[in-house]
Amino acid sequence: MTPKYRCLRGYTIDPGFSTRLDTMVINESIYKIKWEDLDPGPIGEYIEVIDFDPVNYCFYEPVDLDSKEVLATHGLTPSEGDAKFHQQFVYAVIMQTIENFEKALGRKIIWRSNLKWKKGKVDETQEYVQKLRVYPHAMMDSNAFYTSEKVALLFGYFQAANKIQGSNFPGGAVFTCLSPDIVAHETTHAILDSMYPRYMENTNADVPAFHEAFADIVALLQRFGNTKLLEHQIEQTRGRLDEYSIMGELATQFGQALETGRGALRSAIGGYDKKTGKWKKIDPNPAAYQNTMEAHDRGAILVATVFEAFMRLYNYRVQDLLRIATQGSGILPQGSIHPDLVKRLATEAADIASHLLSICIRALDYCPPIDITFGDYLQALITADTDLSPEDNNGYRVALIDAFRAWGIFPDRVKTLSVYSLRWFPPDLTNKEIKAMNMMAAYIKEDVRVISRLTNRKLIAGKYKDLQRKLHQLLENPDTTAKKEWAASRLTEKDWDGYLKKIGVMRNNKSYTIPYNDGQLEFAESPKLEVHNVKHAFRMGRENRQLEQVIISLTQTHRVEKGEYRGFKFRSGCTMVVNILNDEMKVEYIILKRFDKDRRLPKQADYQLGLGAGLTMPVSSYDDPRKSFTVNFQNLHAH
Amino acid sequence: MAVSVNIKMYRIGELGDCFLLCFTNGQEKTHVLIDCGSYWNSNESKERLKKIASDIKKQVAGHQLDVIVGTHQHNDHLSGFIHAESIFKSIKPEQVWLSWLDDPNPDNVLARKIGEDYNNYLTSLRHINKELQKSFFAGDDKILNRVTNLLGFYGISKNERTSAKTDKLPAELPALARKALQKMGKKDPKYLSPGDVFNLPGITGGAVKVYVLGPPKNEEHLYKKEPRKDETFDHKLSANATNAEKMLFAMKKLSGSIKVKHDEEPFPFDEPYRKSENFDKVEEAYKKDEWRQIELDWINQAEQLALWLDGFTNNSSLVLAFEIVKTKKVLLFAADAQAGNWRSWKEIKWKKLPADFNWLTLMKNTVLYKTGHHGSHNSTLAEALNNMTHKELVVLIPVEKSDPMVNFGKGWKMPATNLYKELKKRSQYRIIRMDDGFSKAKAWDELPNQPSKNDLYCEYEVRE
Repeated sequence: MTPKYRCLRGYTIDPGFSTRLDTMVINESIYKIKWEDLDPGPIGEYIEVIDFDPVNYCFYEPVDLDSKEVLATHGLTPSEGDAKFHQQFVYAVIMQTIENFEKALGRKIIWRSNLKWKKGKVDETQEYVQKLRVYPHAMMDSNAFYTSEKVALLFGYFQAANKIQGSNFPGGAVFTCLSPDIVAHETTHAILDSMYPRYMENTNADVPAFHEAFADIVALLQRFGNTKLLEHQIEQTRGRLDEYSIMGELATQFGQALETGRGALRSAIGGYDKKTGKWKKIDPNPAAYQNTMEAHDRGAILVATVFEAFMRLYNYRVQDLLRIATQGSGILPQGSIHPDLVKRLATEAADIASHLLSICIRALDYCPPIDITFGDYLQALITADTDLSPEDNNGYRVALIDAFRAWGIFPDRVKTLSVYSLRWFPPDLTNKEIKAMNMMAAYIKEDVRVISRLTNRKLIAGKYKDLQRKLHQLLENPDTTAKKEWAASRLTEKDWDGYLKKIGVMRNNKSYTIPYNDGQLEFAESPKLEVHNVKHAFRMGRENRQLEQVIISLTQTHRVEKGEYRGFKFRSGCTMVVNILNDEMKVEYIILKRFDKDRRLPKQADYQLGLGAGLTMPVSSYDDPRKSFTVNFQNLHAH
Repeated sequence: MAVSVNIKMYRIGELGDCFLLCFTNGQEKTHVLIDCGSYWNSNESKERLKKIASDIKKQVAGHQLDVIVGTHQHNDHLSGFIHAESIFKSIKPEQVWLSWLDDPNPDNVLARKIGEDYNNYLTSLRHINKELQKSFFAGDDKILNRVTNLLGFYGISKNERTSAKTDKLPAELPALARKALQKMGKKDPKYLSPGDVFNLPGITGGAVKVYVLGPPKNEEHLYKKEPRKDETFDHKLSANATNAEKMLFAMKKLSGSIKVKHDEEPFPFDEPYRKSENFDKVEEAYKKDEWRQIELDWINQAEQLALWLDGFTNNSSLVLAFEIVKTKKVLLFAADAQAGNWRSWKEIKWKKLPADFNWLTLMKNTVLYKTGHHGSHNSTLAEALNNMTHKELVVLIPVEKSDPMVNFGKGWKMPATNLYKELKKRSQYRIIRMDDGFSKAKAWDELPNQPSKNDLYCEYEVRE
């Protein structure tokens, strides 16, 4: 029988904490990773760690995690000086992150395909990429990033500043691949990109910020799922999680090693008070969202918002424990708190973190395929969670809404901040449109059924691709693609066009002109339609409710090929959430980004063609502001 | 007696800045030249600059060239002082104004430290530029071109040679220009710091005042194109200089420019790793998918380093505001200041001025704005522009659309679209461009004076 798990030792926080007396004891954790057969590298089903160092132009010897010596000792001993441990560590953290996503999403992660470009167009025969490539020592730079072009994670190493800062060793080597935060962060970029490749397009200030924020949220919540670390912190702060220091910082050692800064790379949720020197949680600032445009700073607002929700939930959920422990007063006596109480508090916190992580991940399936805003994400969070856990006895949704309100993030055109009005609404369709929609659902039903039974990722990916193609043909030419169904439905082409409009796309063989900024945006005819994703999901909620769904996302690209604004492109589309229940398929939500010429279009054009709200944008002077410029993680992560 | 200021924006024919200001008050006249340079160092560039210098000589004939301002060490601002050095010398300018960063006084510790780091940084980058052309790094022209383009601002071409004897690189053109400028005035150069306020020489009675806004002395602002909250930037320049040096060392090892003994300075691991049988599989996996290899990806850092230095140099711009005291009208010359420079103005402690005076007073009274950095996107602060509310506002943009660097498509976007739009709105379309001249906006009629242009310059006059 094969073992269930592979236990691998690794750092809990950054390696630097192993050399600090107060954190030494907690800085080694066991990562329990689902067993899989591995080749040296490690190379497994999902990732391949290739330790090639182009700066020294050499390969480092790959670790064999199946060797007796390694298996018997729960992996190699954490060590900065051992490249084989580095490989083991990136493997452990990446696999842990993937597992969290698969659990929450209820399906297998399939990486972005290798987009082959032929004469400026994507080749239809996109190549399936089975394994994410991981380079633990890819450059000599204080940088780490995900690249969608290579479907790879690149981690840098660098020499720490020559002065003593925090726990770093002056002049020593610092490895970004040894920070669990950085590894989780980059892995999340890769997973998010596999779901929504268009989130690489900088169409509004929230998009690059969202990529960053979401990656940090995953890193942060994964850390808060570590009971051992929580116990240590709760013991030190007597249960007050808003008073800890190291838990709320990301990539502390990395930040400290840089010549430029003291403290963590990111501290979205708190910071040291300059006067008292004490760590303090940041109080929500409702104005920040309006005034902060730089991607990391704006992203930090979303991280802080999710963390605010976490804190509210924690304080709410541990009230009873504190009362029990204090004969009802709720006020803890001086001195250390009882170890049993520490354990219970830590368990609660870890539980909340793990649920919140699932909620945050699951919400991705309820996000629009393009041009996301934080407000969209709040609505996605609320809708996804309502679907799966309708009761919400523990107040997760209220805590989230509270937190978003406190940070001043409001969705577009939502009347009240209640669970009811924040939910995406079921589609508002006419009878004919419902007919069209049902026809579409019926047309793909059988394929979805087949996919739901598959376990091989390559086969699944292939089927998804087939299904995408099929749907694409249907949307463009329903009459010839599904002759029988079309005839039976008695729909007209006009009805079909009406339906397409409701899902954010159009069939248009004429060019069209939209006035903009004293000039005109001349969109070319026949905007290209893309069925981006068809994904099957089978998931379980907090109340043990099961849900089987198909997530379909479509986009359409409207290009300006002539005139003053040549090169500009604007996309529309939607994500459709389809519930499968007792053999029936029902489109539950259409999360729509219309071809909104009055609001979204001019807003995006203002943002991309010039500088939107501020005149300063973090783009290199080479970036051509007229293109729908992409988020470049290498630049975004450079420090 | 009324003060008037005649402004000539010389038409460089490529990316560059050159402004001649003539302040007149009755019989008194003061000539101020702000920068003279162009990006390319072609023969054509040199001829053009000589022609311009000769015209400047003609313009000041009978008077004197009172002041030459050298704003910062970029070719497109200073190259003329080398290419047309003899002409400028023959004009015998009275005094040269430079920023505090250029002050050679040994007591100026900060400036010296910055200068040292700056030189090391630039030297490393120039060598990196040479390394990029070695066969080992061949295949990635994109990075090479970008680095070379950025180094073009220092007058450095792709094929620069080191001295055969010492293997040292010759001093770069803007540095030579600065040296030439330091010796050019009859009087010793004047080194200006933010917060300095003084009367314009040659105009008596304090009728025209000069305010110094940048470059910031606060390192945080100096180092950052886009400063973010809660970040400290001490030593960022020297940190990046060190990075450049390390990168160069690694490149030299790989290209074979230097020989390093096997056990010397291993980094990041102490001992080299031995090959084992496991090794082959990984190597095989790496070699199989060419599209996923990372042979040269790490050298992208060179562009980051070059960009950073470029931003730093822009932020080191000497920014001056000239005020016609009687009507408080202001002429603002922002050189190539980027966001960090602009933001620092808020914190300036003005010497000998009432407490309620601040930078916004200057913005509100600005009637002539020389756009920062040829109108690029991060060189005019929104808050500043929003406060330029004077009804007589005229905008100068030294931009040349025929310059391949400015051309849409592959180059820099100058002027940035929405900034341009905002500038048009604020000035009611009273914009004077170096390439196109000026628009026929109705709002010109509201001013006592119309702009004009000829082959050599665009001209405009601000009156009291």
